Amino acid sequence: MGHCISMKPSAKMAKLVPLLAVFFYLVCVSEAVFEDQVGKFDWRRQYVGKVLFASFDSPSQSSKKLFVATDKNIFASLNSRTGDLFWRHVDKMGPEGAVDTLLVNAQDALMVIGDGRLLRSWDTNVGGLNWEVVLDTGSFQAACFVGIQDTVKHVAVLKKTAISLHYLSNGHQKWVENLPDSDTVKYQAVYSGGGEEVFVLGMVPHSHLTITVYSLEDGEIIRQRSVEAPWLSSVESSCVVVGRGVLMCVDNYTQALYTLAIQAEDSPQFRQVLLQSLDLEVSQDFQPVLVSTQPHPARSPLPEFFLQLGPDHHILLQLSEDGSTIAPLRDFQPAFLVSFATTGEKTVAAVMAPKNTTACAVNLFSADSGRRLLDTTVIFPLDANGGKPQKLYVHAFLKKDDSVGYRVLVQTEDHALTFIQQPGRVVWTREEALADVVTMEMVDLPLTGTQAELEGEFGKKADGLLPMVMKRLSSQVILLQAWMAHLWKLFYEARKPRSQIKNEVTIETLSRDEFNLQKMMVMVTASGKLFGIDSKSGTILWKHYLENVQPNAAFKLIVQRTTAHFPHPPQCTLLIKDKDTGLATLHVFNPIFGRKSQISLPALPRPILQSLLLPVIDQDYAKCLLLVDDQYKVTAFPSTKNVMQQLQEMASSIFFYLVDSEQGTLSGFRLRKDLSSELIWEVVLPTEVQKIVAVKGKRPSEHVHSQGRVMGDRSVLYKYLNPNLLAVVTESTDTHPERAFVGMFLVDGVTGRIIHEAVQRKARGPIHFVHSENWVVYEYWNTKSRRNEFSVLELFEGTELYNSTVFSSLDRPHLPQVLQQSYIFPSPITTMEATLTEKGITSRHLLVGLPSGAILSLPKMFLDPRRPEVVNEHSREENLIPYAPEMPIRTEWFINYNQTISRLKGIYTAPSGLESTCLVVAYGLDIYQTRVYPSKQFDVLKDDYDYVLISSVLFALFFATMISKRLAEVKLLNRAWR
Amino acid sequence: MASPGGQGSGALSTRGGVARRMKWALELSLGNTRGRGDRQSNQGDVMYPIGYSDKPVPDTSIQETDKNLVEKRCWDVALGPLKQIPMNLFIMYMSGNTISIFPIMMVCMMAWRPIQALMSMSATFKLLENSNQQWLQGLVYSVGNLLGSALAIYKCQSMGLLPTHSSDWLAFIEPPQRVEIMGGGMVL
Repeated sequence: MGHCISMKPSAKMAKLVPLLAVFFYLVCVSEAVFEDQVGKFDWRRQYVGKVLFASFDSPSQSSKKLFVATDKNIFASLNSRTGDLFWRHVDKMGPEGAVDTLLVNAQDALMVIGDGRLLRSWDTNVGGLNWEVVLDTGSFQAACFVGIQDTVKHVAVLKKTAISLHYLSNGHQKWVENLPDSDTVKYQAVYSGGGEEVFVLGMVPHSHLTITVYSLEDGEIIRQRSVEAPWLSSVESSCVVVGRGVLMCVDNYTQALYTLAIQAEDSPQFRQVLLQSLDLEVSQDFQPVLVSTQPHPARSPLPEFFLQLGPDHHILLQLSEDGSTIAPLRDFQPAFLVSFATTGEKTVAAVMAPKNTTACAVNLFSADSGRRLLDTTVIFPLDANGGKPQKLYVHAFLKKDDSVGYRVLVQTEDHALTFIQQPGRVVWTREEALADVVTMEMVDLPLTGTQAELEGEFGKKADGLLPMVMKRLSSQVILLQAWMAHLWKLFYEARKPRSQIKNEVTIETLSRDEFNLQKMMVMVTASGKLFGIDSKSGTILWKHYLENVQPNAAFKLIVQRTTAHFPHPPQCTLLIKDKDTGLATLHVFNPIFGRKSQISLPALPRPILQSLLLPVIDQDYAKCLLLVDDQYKVTAFPSTKNVMQQLQEMASSIFFYLVDSEQGTLSGFRLRKDLSSELIWEVVLPTEVQKIVAVKGKRPSEHVHSQGRVMGDRSVLYKYLNPNLLAVVTESTDTHPERAFVGMFLVDGVTGRIIHEAVQRKARGPIHFVHSENWVVYEYWNTKSRRNEFSVLELFEGTELYNSTVFSSLDRPHLPQVLQQSYIFPSPITTMEATLTEKGITSRHLLVGLPSGAILSLPKMFLDPRRPEVVNEHSREENLIPYAPEMPIRTEWFINYNQTISRLKGIYTAPSGLESTCLVVAYGLDIYQTRVYPSKQFDVLKDDYDYVLISSVLFALFFATMISKRLAEVKLLNRAWR
Repeated sequence: MASPGGQGSGALSTRGGVARRMKWALELSLGNTRGRGDRQSNQGDVMYPIGYSDKPVPDTSIQETDKNLVEKRCWDVALGPLKQIPMNLFIMYMSGNTISIFPIMMVCMMAWRPIQALMSMSATFKLLENSNQQWLQGLVYSVGNLLGSALAIYKCQSMGLLPTHSSDWLAFIEPPQRVEIMGGGMVL
């Protein structure tokens, strides 16, 4: 890694222009990957998000494709054998790209996107776009295929005020008609049963239902009917079309089913069928749901349908041929999920019922009779750390003996997809919760059993000389055993072909490697599912689903105890705050195994505003976490006597700050001995002018090796390393390009003193910034020049240190010197983070996530406010690059080569045991893990190091010396005899 | 005096019939031990008696009378380091101030030689023992060496090898201890 490609031209130019030589030298510092290194240190996992619509390719056993459209505005095809992606189309974020509906017919997949903005047709074979049309404005209501004589040629799209019909082949609009009385009538459904007519159903809530029939040919209104329905509140949620054009509705209040023949010529009436007359009863507080099936869009739906009466109660009903009577076919209780599937002429119903506490069973039933099909049970294992099943998608096919076989795709509450084959083999599982990672931490792996054994030996108290000797001997024997086993394994595996060796990682085999390059990634997802992922291979080692987590909850993950305190297990705490109530809960777990810790949690009756982790350690080596509630009182966790005593001693030196962006206030508090707090400073940034967007302190784990910078005259410019410094970013409320501005305030978090204030006029967000060491780098949009710009602020104390032993914010009379420089960056960015290493000796790089999905490793050297405009001897001595306003983007600087990361949201960096190496995890829709070497691998041999050559040369030289020594001796002896 | 010889030696085998017959031979003549050429030139000569040498033995008795010569010699020794200084200056000038292998080697040599000389001062004093101005010479000698090392240090200085700037001690500054503990953030 880190090889210069353009050596020859650079060498030539170096003679001509020394500055260019410096520049090319810098280029060589950057890293790039050789082809054979692809995937060696890095991996990528691709996700699609929570599935909204799923559909199977064709009803044959050999089909491998599965189509999904998700809440992340993605349309993708999955390989149903492996769960891998065939292809994936990522649309715009937000409501603009939201998938309204997905309709699949043979080779065409139709999607309505962005609340009826676009209609798209995809070729399902290769994932190419057939056509795309822009629909008329108006919010989307429903869509359906329209077919006559068993061929589907059109698609109807119902909007709030209009209905349009499009050709399936090219998307051209056949006709569009305005809906009558669309200001009073809510149109909610469109239906076509294979005839020459298109039915549009609308309603006025609690008054009547309207049926408008359009001619397929020219869009003329054939007839319009209005039916009294005072009980009806929504067509969408309570009505389905069953059999030959019979509208079936269910109403909870009257406890009845209503049927209506919508094709009838004369003015029809709803016919009421009381549920009581069918011996049925709806569970309390449950809105009954109807499920019907239309196997082919050019034919009418089946007369059989499901009625859900309770969370685990379904019933299969059948409408008689003339539409007059409803007969129950089979009662399913308990049954969580039901689904229809059609293959050939057969339609089956799949029903998922609980089997025992750890598994569910899916059975197939014939739809027309309700009889159970033999040998169709599939067992779905319920994961104790997963969610409940939420949706069931069935892929039915005809086997060679004409019986029905099937596979099921189960979606659970935690957004996981599980694909199961008969008789219950889990083919694959996709953890789609990982498409939305909120926060993460990397935790060191524990020592191996043998290492721990040794550690334990030193940890225990001495109990005599002889037992100690025996203990030492026994642990040495264990070490020897482990080593022998390792050797044996090496020898055994060396004989196998390379492809057969499976490097399976399990929790049991996890242990720290010698350079601590392998770590446990603890990821928190928005759905409330926690994951433990091995950073080396990307294998999910544990998962834990937290139920009852609100979708908009705020998370904060804190490592309270690392792996360093054997035998105490490491401990992580997740603070989950409910946005609505403001109440917070704590989830304390072991980050290596994912198990919940049995620790008594503090009661948190009041809303929690913030938390802070103190370096105060209790007798079990867990760091103390303080939780600040809305009365600015503090709760300590753990709150043992030991901790409380330490807290009282230190209370006067514990400060915390809170930023309220709605009020525009920054306030600082000091802890009192009774764990209440006093307000000691407050900064108000008027919200009419500007809004606080973000605030960042420094990472507590950051080490700064050098306390200053060496100047060209060999004096030192000392860095202003204030650990309490905060970077506060504001944006103007006025968005006019001439008046918009961006503010950067550097505030001391203890005293509230504003150390520096930089206002960028004619600039707009979104702001991405990194605050580290003595610098802040931020990126904004320049509205005047219409470009992205980087700005760097660097703080220095000057050539003298004020106090070199102790840093106290309360005793800093002098303000630092601030240097600033700005640069043009040729691309917008999505996120930014700085590399982090163990001791901070390695030079820093900025990892810049670009919207293209690439991560750029930009040397901090380029963002140095001391870059001179005029080069002189001193600046050359310092190796400063002359100032150039344009910042280059070099493709060799992309650390993820062609492994782009869609919708990059965050980058996490962690130090490894090697000073040169920094571990990087980028997450967004995809997750990508790699290592970066900002100053190249100065402390480790390259992996293509030629051990064989070097050792053979060494041995050859050794033997040559031995032989020549012997020869020389003989010769000397002979000469002596002469 | 025994002369080493052996059967395997080709030189021996070409000698006269005596050597061929004998397993080993002892030559006691002084001239013959000098070297091979001598020996070969002496081949066929008359054997001299034991202990006889045809060259006059050099007179090894010390002439203690020539005091002036001793003095001169001693001054030579004492002034040696000083005489080297102009030469060193020239080398210094030629090697320049860039840090690369050759200037570094030269500086090392320049620094090491005077130090070595100062360390073996007692040996030098032994040399100067017979001089009248022993102490003065010793002083001159050490001053010369000190000057030489000063020159080396100056060279180091001009090359920037001496830790005289604050930047040279930067790596040893420990990060300051923080007194206050601070944390917090945006209201969650």
